[in-house]
Amino acid sequence: MNAPTSSATDVRASLAAIHAGFEATGYLCSDAIATALFLATNLQKPILVEGPPGVGKTELARATAAWLDKPLIRLQCYEGLDESKALYEWKYGKQLLYTQVLKDKLGDLMAGAKGLAESIARLHEFDDTFFNTEFLEPRPLLKALWEPGGAVLLIDEIDKSDQEFEAFLLEMLQDYQISIPELGTVKATVPPVVFLTSNNTRELGDALKRRCLHLHIPYPDASLERRIIASRVPDLHDSIRHQLVGFVQGLRALDLKKTPAISETIDWARALLLLHADELDVELVRSTLNLLLKFQDDITQVDSELYRLISAAHKV
Amino acid sequence: MSLVLGNFLQALRASDVRVSTSEGLDAAAVLGAIGFDDRRLLKTALSQVLAKTLDDKSRFDECFDQFFQAEDLRHLPPADGQPDGDDAADDGAANGEAPGDTTDPAATEGEAAGQPSEPGLEALLEGGDRARLQMALAGAAREVGITDIKLFTQRGMYSRRMLEAMGVEALERRLYDLRRRGEEAEAERLRGRLAVLREDVLALVDRQLLLLTANAGTRLREEILQQVPLARAEVSDFRIMQALVRKLARKLVALHSRRRKVAQRGVLDVRHTIRRNIEFDGLLFDIVWRRKKIERPKIVAVCDVSGSVANYARFLLLFLYSVAEVLPKVRAFVFSSVLAEVTELFKTHDVEEAVALTLQKHGWGSTDYGMAFAQLCEQALDDIDHHTTVLILGDARSNYGDPGLRELRQIHERARRVIWLNPESRGFWNVGDSEMPRLATACDRVDTCRSLRHLERLIGELMRTAV
Repeated sequence: MNAPTSSATDVRASLAAIHAGFEATGYLCSDAIATALFLATNLQKPILVEGPPGVGKTELARATAAWLDKPLIRLQCYEGLDESKALYEWKYGKQLLYTQVLKDKLGDLMAGAKGLAESIARLHEFDDTFFNTEFLEPRPLLKALWEPGGAVLLIDEIDKSDQEFEAFLLEMLQDYQISIPELGTVKATVPPVVFLTSNNTRELGDALKRRCLHLHIPYPDASLERRIIASRVPDLHDSIRHQLVGFVQGLRALDLKKTPAISETIDWARALLLLHADELDVELVRSTLNLLLKFQDDITQVDSELYRLISAAHKV
Repeated sequence: MSLVLGNFLQALRASDVRVSTSEGLDAAAVLGAIGFDDRRLLKTALSQVLAKTLDDKSRFDECFDQFFQAEDLRHLPPADGQPDGDDAADDGAANGEAPGDTTDPAATEGEAAGQPSEPGLEALLEGGDRARLQMALAGAAREVGITDIKLFTQRGMYSRRMLEAMGVEALERRLYDLRRRGEEAEAERLRGRLAVLREDVLALVDRQLLLLTANAGTRLREEILQQVPLARAEVSDFRIMQALVRKLARKLVALHSRRRKVAQRGVLDVRHTIRRNIEFDGLLFDIVWRRKKIERPKIVAVCDVSGSVANYARFLLLFLYSVAEVLPKVRAFVFSSVLAEVTELFKTHDVEEAVALTLQKHGWGSTDYGMAFAQLCEQALDDIDHHTTVLILGDARSNYGDPGLRELRQIHERARRVIWLNPESRGFWNVGDSEMPRLATACDRVDTCRSLRHLERLIGELMRTAV
């Protein structure tokens, strides 16, 4: 909202800059991803990234951090995650230790105090000592807000957390601030770039979605996947790269329990490189198929269609 | 700009994409940041702000393409020499980057509104200036408030109103005069022009209708389907039904899980705490929370799939399937004459397959309740205890055979509750070979379940009391 109406060329220039910046970090991004980043930095909104597992959702955050040269702070969500793990915790041990050590000082402090009321009044003057930032253990969310130059905050697999935690995140996502009862409100000096990733194991709340940009990363198309393989496994020969990507794309068209994602394609490409393969053939694929497919059912299903898939891959 | 955006949001909502006000504001901010020029970029950007699920995204894409095609038609610059308005629109959509068509829509909006009747309709038609004509059309459309169109049947009315707004009456009178005077050639020519105009108007109205009411029909259908008796619903409606049941199930799951959480939160159990802390000299060190014990509901569901309930069977199974999805511990059985367990089948197949397979394997026999209950006792009686709810779906018509009352009693004695859902309405329960009144004596609750409404109410109640 703070962005003035910029001309189309400006926009295109900054999109190109994003593309180039990412390429330098080794992450090839699609137009949708570049647009999302552009909007996120311009409108200061978090990005909710969804997509099948293994398409590079987490990697996107890592690449953004590298590109912006900001620290990546990661919060892995799981069931039962709560504030004390995500936001802050008091260093109880340290507090306890300090009170023990300072016990002797208590006598000096209380010297001359008359009656209980006065003693307590004196104590009150000091009790904030134990509840200040000195004794605060910042967890990822607070760290991201405190980071002086801004940070890239990755809230990974938000769908694994409870609904309560999701609600708790709302304040943070909307205003980049957090309330700590003992200290007051902590506000980010430089708002972090926030990524939330989800595998859609449960439907996220509308309130959360409303506050985020929604980026869906699908499986890449053949040409993008070839470029990704080329940048990740540069030693692999051109022809086999074509065949390999063609084969994986063919697999994705089948009805499988778990379709191979980019990370699996990369693993497979590395394996083929190690085996010095220069062409896909049935035997080779059959012996390495377990790198791509993680369920026995899938492997048996694909096995019967291997010949067709491979000959299709050769034609690409 | 904001007018176009507003219209677009309206169109989006009509095609069932949920857009909140704050998202609308975000969309405006996006427009501010990237402008209208690059159509493809705009589409990606807006889809990230406005469409937040995969389904929404595909609907968004469709709506966006349609809408901006229509928009382009409306905002043709007046001086545009293009002979055909449609071509111009297509070009605009295809390579929206061309700096030529950076029309500020708001400005043209104002112009267009002022102009329509000015050159005279006949001159406009004769001149063959498509761009002008389109603007006149747009003006007329605004005048009659085309964005209010709701139903398919209103097409005629709106197109007539638009024609009138454009001054077609004068033309028609002239046509009539020409005919009377016998100037056939001239009249024919004019008639042809009018026909073209009518087609244009109708096309515009249709486009609007499509944009604004894309989903009204489905919504209406869903509403009706909720109330229609299951037996009368067509097989073709099964898909929609299924979606409805799914929706229902998800809603109920959400409610259900929340209730469990509340129960778990607990209150301080003073007695227990003190007892536990005696060893610490009564210092309250180890605190015990009172926990509400949660009884996981166990359900044994039995569904009749015989010929007598053939019409219902699909939907009863759909219901059974959704129950198995919603509640954690469900054993599902079906029978016509022989009882068979389908729990595994339901777990491994999706709904359509599971229902089809079940019907194929076990369906269409003749009913034998006596046999079915006897077998149920054999197979599942050990599993039935005071936590178990037994759910029976069937019409209780046992072809004058043994209704299995003794076995059902036995089940009733062990189970926490026996609920019988009958697809026939109460009036039929006493008629013919229906054993409902007798069997009802061994049930805690007997109810009619003939429509999705009933279904929703029943599952809801089941879950509330089961927890």
